[in-house]
Amino acid sequence: MNVIGWKTLIAKESRRFMKVPGQTILNPVINTALYFVVFGYALGGYLRELDGVPYIRFIIPGLIMQSIIQNSLLNTASSLFVSKLQGTIIDLLLAPLTAFEVVSAYVVAALARALTVAVLVWLVASAFTSFHVAHPAHALGFALGVGVVFALGGMVVAIASNNFEQLNLIPAFVITPLTFLGGVFYSPHALPRPWSTITRANPILYMVDGLRYGLIGRSDTNPNLGLAIVVGTAAVLGSIVYAMLHSGYKLRT
Amino acid sequence: MTATTSKDLSSAPAVETIGVAKRYPSGVEALSGIDLRIEPGEIFALLGPNGAGKTTWISIVCGLARATGGSARVLGLDVVKDALAARRVVGLVPQEINFDPFFKVREVLRFQQGYFGVRRDDARIDEILAALDLTAKADAGTRELSGGMKRRLLIAKALVHAPRVVFLDEPTAGVDVNLRRDLWDYVRELRRRGTTIVLTTHYLEEAEALADRVGVIDKGKLLVLDTPGALLARHGARRIKIKLAAPLTALPAELAALGATLEPGGLELSCPVATPGLPAPPANGQPAPAEIRRVIAAVAALDASIAVTDLRTEQPTLEQVFMALVGHRKGAAA
Ligand SMILES: Nc1ncnc2c1ncn2[C@@H]1O[C@H](COP(=O)(O)OP(=O)(O)OP(=O)(O)O)[C@@H](O)[C@H]1O
Ligand SMILES: [Mg+2]
Repeated sequence: MNVIGWKTLIAKESRRFMKVPGQTILNPVINTALYFVVFGYALGGYLRELDGVPYIRFIIPGLIMQSIIQNSLLNTASSLFVSKLQGTIIDLLLAPLTAFEVVSAYVVAALARALTVAVLVWLVASAFTSFHVAHPAHALGFALGVGVVFALGGMVVAIASNNFEQLNLIPAFVITPLTFLGGVFYSPHALPRPWSTITRANPILYMVDGLRYGLIGRSDTNPNLGLAIVVGTAAVLGSIVYAMLHSGYKLRT
Repeated sequence: MTATTSKDLSSAPAVETIGVAKRYPSGVEALSGIDLRIEPGEIFALLGPNGAGKTTWISIVCGLARATGGSARVLGLDVVKDALAARRVVGLVPQEINFDPFFKVREVLRFQQGYFGVRRDDARIDEILAALDLTAKADAGTRELSGGMKRRLLIAKALVHAPRVVFLDEPTAGVDVNLRRDLWDYVRELRRRGTTIVLTTHYLEEAEALADRVGVIDKGKLLVLDTPGALLARHGARRIKIKLAAPLTALPAELAALGATLEPGGLELSCPVATPGLPAPPANGQPAPAEIRRVIAAVAALDASIAVTDLRTEQPTLEQVFMALVGHRKGAAA
């Protein structure tokens, strides 16, 4: 294994987002904090309870999960797509790095960004509520696992896309709706009959609910089923990215 | 790297392609079977008009493109089967300039070192920066560089991990005359240290000045492969050019016998002569000095009223060779 090369790629990919922290860290933290303030406080949420949990506490895990999903996806997708577009991707294609080294380095850098945002959001939100974490191992497992899933997803999208329109297709029309419908702001029980069942086909629901279990100890789904879904999705996406990089799909002419 | 491949490294050709072919998905047949063997320590120039297939051939050897036929090896390492080991020994200066605008010159070189598994070595980076006259720009962002500086940074990038085989795809495009000479010196210096260099260029005097051997490709086929000297002897001609004050109406028989021609207007005579040390062009079979005497004698025998205003020799150039090989093609540009 080319350890120096692997570490260099992680350093480079991390430095990319650390050079513009306003855009990559601060902006998502503020956006999420605004959701928190608007939905948790301004709309009177602090008065309400959902199954015995104050609404403001209920939405924190979902908001954190949303920022993990967005930031890990965005980090790999934009970095890889832009380097494909600019042609700087050839640095990677010429380097003696295996497909596994490239994939894992991109994922590690994306995790660094997503978890930085997540921890900051959690700190801000906890300052308003409580720093208590119900199941730390589950919380960490879901945060890391989901970060890996969407970092890999971002790579698939970046490699497969030929233009910005295609790059935005899946995030805008699949990921964002599924995230909003994934129980960030409500419990699936709250939906009327057919929808409360249909919504269970949404994998993001299990991710949000899993982190909710980890952070506040409350869930509608089985957290271990959630972890299995996360691991399974990561394995499938990981294999796809590996195959793409190994074969040079859309990267080597 | 396996034991057998590392043993092969010493004796294997620096680059060897056998029947390398490339048909792009668009249907374009960019290469149709290129057999080429470049020896270690050689400076090899690959010439050809735009679209000939030079970049495609280099891309296949460097692993950026997949051949649709044939095989390619670098220092005995198959570029597909031993891809990682092959990439370690190769440096490529791509034809297209592109940089990540996020990073500074020194950072770019540090990343490059790291990718190749080289431990951070700032002394090496300083040496490369100095060699390419970029020391003053070490801490500038890549966006702040001029076009020629960017090209030089591209070269620095390709060399920073001390590759044993270097591909330079039009390395001097946009580089000014002084720096181009410096670059040539640096290329020779690299060769002295044992590096094999493969370059493409549209400046034929560059190939003439640098290359040990030259290959000319056109439409995906290798047309010739030889030393510049041999190519000049085969396809180029040295000529004596004589300017006259008054036009000649007809070419005297003695000059016609020597293969001379009269330029339109009758004011200039052009007479091929052999180059010492090289076989004579087909028109006349005599050793050069004797021919030159005969040309002078024939000119002296012209009507005394016709003054000779200039006499010079025109040396054969690779440009003539190139034009003879591919110049017929419409739009072919060196
Ligand atoms: N990615 C590609 N997809 C399809 N066709 C391509 C691609 N790259 C090159 N070609 C075609 O392959 C042929 C050879 O191109 P190549 O870039 O190898 O030429 P070249 O000799 O390097 O030319 P130049 O002197 O202009 O750099 C051309 O007809 C070109 O249009
Ligand atoms: Mg080219």
